[in-house]
Amino acid sequence: MSSSPILVVKNLTTTFITGRGRLPAVGGVSFELNADETLGIVGESGSGKTVLSRTIMGLQPRSNVELGGSVQLLGHEIVHASEDELRTIWGTEVSMVFQDPMTSLNPVMTIGKQISESLRVRLGMSKADAKVRAIDLLKLVGIPSAEERYDAYPTQLSGGMRQRVVIAIALSCSPQLLLADEPTTGLDVTIQAQILNLIEELKSKEKMAVILVTHDLGVVATRTDRIIVMYAGRIVEMGRTRDVFFNHRMPYTRALLESTPKVSNPSHTRLITIPGRPPDLYNLDGGCAFAPRCAYATDQCRQEAPSLQEANSDGHLFACWNPLPVGTSPLNQQNSNEPNGASNEQ
Amino acid sequence: MSNKKVLLEVRNLEVNFKKAGQVVSAVAGLNFDIYEGETLGLVGESGCGKSTTGRALMRIVEPTNGTIVLDGKELTSMKGRELRQERTKMQMIFQDPISSLNPRRRVKDIVAEPLDCWGSAEGDERDRIVFDLLNRVGIDPAIYGNRYARQFSGGQCQRISIARSLAMRPKMLICDEMVSALDVSIQAQILNLLEDLKEEYGLTLLFIAHDLAVVKNVSDRVAVMYLGKMCEIGPSDLMYDAPAHPYTKFLLSAALEANPDSIQDNEVLSGEPPSPLNPPSGCRFRTRCPFATELCASQEPLLTEVTPGHSVACHYPLTTVKA
Repeated sequence: MSSSPILVVKNLTTTFITGRGRLPAVGGVSFELNADETLGIVGESGSGKTVLSRTIMGLQPRSNVELGGSVQLLGHEIVHASEDELRTIWGTEVSMVFQDPMTSLNPVMTIGKQISESLRVRLGMSKADAKVRAIDLLKLVGIPSAEERYDAYPTQLSGGMRQRVVIAIALSCSPQLLLADEPTTGLDVTIQAQILNLIEELKSKEKMAVILVTHDLGVVATRTDRIIVMYAGRIVEMGRTRDVFFNHRMPYTRALLESTPKVSNPSHTRLITIPGRPPDLYNLDGGCAFAPRCAYATDQCRQEAPSLQEANSDGHLFACWNPLPVGTSPLNQQNSNEPNGASNEQ
Repeated sequence: MSNKKVLLEVRNLEVNFKKAGQVVSAVAGLNFDIYEGETLGLVGESGCGKSTTGRALMRIVEPTNGTIVLDGKELTSMKGRELRQERTKMQMIFQDPISSLNPRRRVKDIVAEPLDCWGSAEGDERDRIVFDLLNRVGIDPAIYGNRYARQFSGGQCQRISIARSLAMRPKMLICDEMVSALDVSIQAQILNLLEDLKEEYGLTLLFIAHDLAVVKNVSDRVAVMYLGKMCEIGPSDLMYDAPAHPYTKFLLSAALEANPDSIQDNEVLSGEPPSPLNPPSGCRFRTRCPFATELCASQEPLLTEVTPGHSVACHYPLTTVKA
């Protein structure tokens, strides 16, 4: 935590007003992000991870939304900023890569034009300069024969190539923060590995901070410095990646880890499941949202929502009345059988 | 495996699609057996032909060539009612649980539909079968039986699909990416349910998926496909420990493990699969394979047994001795 944070999120709430009532998609989220950090935000569908990242970008819908709290990005306040204000930071300060590269690209515009568009609008480059830079960017993200591909339409490219183009657009104006929302979810494993490696490589080359939003613990395990685990719109656990995997205290974090099938387990390994279903956000009562599915829930859990408390001085926080004992992560047992199992080093 | 009974025998299965005068060879000559009571996992990346294989076995798409023998009966030469009757032994569960159920029908009618089609159960007996099936997959028929499919979440819809697929008491289920649209916590519930039902109903499964961890979790044997061809087939634990085909090895090293101490293999497979419109000569993987030689370009490697029950289609199979 030495360098100063580029992003400070304080008590952020995003509430949608719908026909059924108030939907608290993000319910009071606070965290900071440093300039050189990669942060993972993990959660299942409906956990609020995507709404959170869109609110940080200022991309929430303009109507039927109530925002609270604050998002400070490099000195700019995002919450309640007008679109004109946001336009000055989109691209140059913060960029976003979305899950579906087909719908985030314009199908009737060549990819070259889509990259040079942001260069010309944001950086005021001439047409010729923008083309040169766009081709450089296509090369940077590993698109073969970039000069010819400059004139290609998105439909002529594969899913992995399209996602590379989206990343090229996101990086075109050298943002300080890249928000990647499920950037590899629709892609095949070998292509996923290529894209994640590319983001990691570009992060160090371009000196950006990265927020990687995903449902897949495998994506964040080896590529992030810190992780936020979300459930029902709130942070339930947050800390350095190793702390979250090896010393998590929140039962939901453990349950998520245990219900993920692992290549290293023998076949027909019985999966430990989380009973029940994610909560209905319209009807959250006062207690911990995970309590109805939690094996350790007590009356206190059902009545009173736990707030985040410190597990250690390294910024490891968890929200639970009955936290799991330290060092009981299933990964510790798994690793202790291996000679290089360095899981208890903290 | 030799003393086990073969339930499904697939020989030289080919599926070609015609597209604008060109021929896409989606499945290019598959040979495999599925033994009674086992789960065969089928993995590969998008476009490798794994879903087409599943659909061709059901004759949802017509095989261009080859034979499919299910429980002693050859399916490809059958027609009309005979085919439909025979096909009740083999049911399919699809990827998108929501679109595979009619949103305007009640859950109990969806599950009863196969029974109604065949008239195999009526009145009280029909209701009892539906009640039992829904109970078994964890959907309370008293509460939910009369609701419409559109009122359910993805996980619940997949449970209903499973109940429907079991209504005709099939011998075999073909599961095509059945958990890939679900959240991990729901996915684990469905996978455990599938394992239980397999035991209870004595099912044989073909489990098609792209997620290597999921496939290993449910499978006794795994087959790997690339661009319409089978690369490797063998017992799952053995093959995951010591893959013999370079493609299998790359797939496994690209799979992300939810463990910060997992070894991140830097050997990432570069490039993308070539177009099936114009597949490479010889071995179809050779354009991305670091070990490819001239032999790989000129001659197609045939599926050959390396150890009992473990076959690979490669001129230079990786050593099967564990480091």
